[in-house]
Amino acid sequence: MSQGDSLLIIEHMYKSFGITKALQDVSLELRRGQILGLIGENGSGKSTISSIAAALQLADSGEMYLEGQPYHPKSSVEALARGVCMILQEKGTFDLLTVAKNIFVGKEELFVKHGFLNNKAMIQEARRALDAIHATHIQANLPLSSLNFEDRKLVEVARAMYSNPKILVVDETTTALSRGGRDILYKIMQDMKAEGKSVIFISHDLAEIMEVCDTVTILRDGIYIDTIEKEHFHAPTLRRMMVGREVAENYYRTDMESCKKSEVVLKMEQICCRDVKDVSFELHKGEILGFGGLGDCGMHILGNVAFGLTGPDLGTVKAGDGTLIKNPNMAMKKKIAYISKNRDQETLMVSCSIKDNVCLASYNKISKGPFIFKKDEQKFIQEHAKDLDIKMQNIDQYVMELSGGNKQKVALAKWLGFGADIFIMDCPTRGIDIGVKSNIYQLMTELRDQGKSIIMISEELSEIIGMSDRIIILKEGQISGEFKREEKMTEHLLIDYMV
Amino acid sequence: MSDTKAVIIKTVKKINFQTIFPFLGLIIIVALFTILTKGKLFSNNSLRVVMNDGIYILLGTIGFTFLFAMGMMDFSIGYNMGVSCAVACIVANSSAGIYAAIPAAILTGTIIGVVNGVIVTKTKIMSMIATMGMMFILQGGVLVILNGSVLQAPLALMDLYTNSLKIGFILLFVIGGYILFELTIFGRVAKAIGASPEAVRQTGINADKYKIIAYTLMGAIAGILGFVSLARTGSATNTTGSTLMFNVMNAALLGGVPMTGGPTTKFRGAVLGTLTVSFMVTGMTLLRISAQNQQLIKGIIFLTAIGICFDRKNMKVIK
Repeated sequence: MSQGDSLLIIEHMYKSFGITKALQDVSLELRRGQILGLIGENGSGKSTISSIAAALQLADSGEMYLEGQPYHPKSSVEALARGVCMILQEKGTFDLLTVAKNIFVGKEELFVKHGFLNNKAMIQEARRALDAIHATHIQANLPLSSLNFEDRKLVEVARAMYSNPKILVVDETTTALSRGGRDILYKIMQDMKAEGKSVIFISHDLAEIMEVCDTVTILRDGIYIDTIEKEHFHAPTLRRMMVGREVAENYYRTDMESCKKSEVVLKMEQICCRDVKDVSFELHKGEILGFGGLGDCGMHILGNVAFGLTGPDLGTVKAGDGTLIKNPNMAMKKKIAYISKNRDQETLMVSCSIKDNVCLASYNKISKGPFIFKKDEQKFIQEHAKDLDIKMQNIDQYVMELSGGNKQKVALAKWLGFGADIFIMDCPTRGIDIGVKSNIYQLMTELRDQGKSIIMISEELSEIIGMSDRIIILKEGQISGEFKREEKMTEHLLIDYMV
Repeated sequence: MSDTKAVIIKTVKKINFQTIFPFLGLIIIVALFTILTKGKLFSNNSLRVVMNDGIYILLGTIGFTFLFAMGMMDFSIGYNMGVSCAVACIVANSSAGIYAAIPAAILTGTIIGVVNGVIVTKTKIMSMIATMGMMFILQGGVLVILNGSVLQAPLALMDLYTNSLKIGFILLFVIGGYILFELTIFGRVAKAIGASPEAVRQTGINADKYKIIAYTLMGAIAGILGFVSLARTGSATNTTGSTLMFNVMNAALLGGVPMTGGPTTKFRGAVLGTLTVSFMVTGMTLLRISAQNQQLIKGIIFLTAIGICFDRKNMKVIK
């Protein structure tokens, strides 16, 4: 290893959370002008090692060298000063401030004259920062809350790039971006590469990694597995290294038949709500209905409306028997379940135990009169959680200690235990690794075969095509296309209806 | 080998500081005042004082535990007790007779509790602010009802203040509270609301209903305490209940009941904290520390307790 072209060297890194060993003796080298992909299942340590590099977490032991100098940042501010910057998986922006203020948060003193903040100068500078990342469509003077999810992410990117980092860490950012936003990010990465700077790129999407990265390092359960150069990329090999065993190429549904039952279980009529304009559809028994579109097309709010969480401005939601659904309580009486895209904030109580989470929807079933006994809760969990094979120490373990995939299983166990017949799943595999993903697809197929119905809202076209009996594509809040399950369906065909 | 290590780590993790803290606090306070008062803390007389003061703190803290578990607060309990006491006093002096004072006090407290609950849930004002507003209103209310002076209750009322009444209330609330908190749907949901109100909403649970019940319970307790105070002192004054809020907050904190709510809330915390504060108050009185200085010391302990036991891990920014 020549010191000359190494930008960052990480040696013998260890990190534990309680008894979980997140990193064990991991070493990495990042060259100048390199885009290094980090792959591995959830809990493999890829986010941990990169957040240690950006000093969002501190390592237990291990050495780091930046440009040949020892590098031991104590805080993300110090890391930033040394040129290491990370864009986070979860959102790290302030909704109530303007775009400009978000970009310059913590750097306001740049625009202070005689104790007063020069807003105009700040907005102008923000404009330049946005243009520099090719996000010309975002206006700097607007409050962030008026922007859609994707543009907020881009504001974050602009903030990161304004500090002109030598190393940019991109952690699962692209899952929140549509094609346009992704292209912007890829362009930035290529620009950095051309300038001899480096990028650490983390993604679950193997195809994306193989397209974007020069080199890929594979981690598994906190252990370094291998580093592979672009010319040797081979998807099945990489996948096997990540999971540690052979994975089937195709983990979606294998049958090509579409739902034949005509019994309607949920009916949305002329729904208007925020971005959604006049959307009507019916969900049938035993059907997986896939919703696709860009991040801001209104499909996520539609899931909210179907569960009665958000009242529509116009239109009605009806169960199969014609009962109006106005709130979650009524939806649950009709055996409807909803798993939010923001699973950790809205569906689960992460500071509670697995037991508390799974039982929450079913206390009426578990209780004897008004009383709840521990053994009844345990029995309930035994009945409903064991099929899902949640990786846990015991049912009293806190949900926040679980990986994304296992958290999703807890969310599913909660609704399976409740006995739901209609599942509304918003991004059911968001931020989930391949192994658990296939579990969830398998479970969805089983539910379908049992005659349950599923609305799957997703930003991943491949899973919508792979799983749905019927696909509805939304564009700017309106239905732009509806498709039956068929062999020759392609992503490109759907994308044409989305943009 | 690694198995035993895991077990050890798990055990150590289980017996964390938050769990020990309330026990440790109680032991330290009892030991300290036993030494300082040369054992007088455990004389018959002192123990009676502990019970007399403790009953207010105990019942108040039990009601508070439900609110804390949901991540909510009630600043108005002290003056709720004052208003309930004043209303009960007026009723006792009226032709309705002294026994009518009991339902009068409880009803008054309950109504105030319901109003608190409705305000907090329907207007969505932060519970701290909403109940602080209620506190100011009730503070004024007491003055209006009592016309600025002291109201005497019929002497016969004081005969009701017996040991069996006190012990009855204590047993009822400790046992009933424990069952309600640890063994019912209400208790589970209360903790769930504290952990994540949005997850509770998205599970189709009407959180507002549970919040209103918790405030109603708190109000009813304040009403009962209003009556107990009237029976004990035979009068209603504008300072009745004014120390309740502070003692209850202290007891909840020293008992390790987390202000942020959620699943780590334990009912035993209410009982432990009450014992600690009651012994502390009685001990200071035995040492002839003046009321003002007691207030000062309690304030220091209050801040120290928050500083030590506050769960900073789960709180990034404090509003």
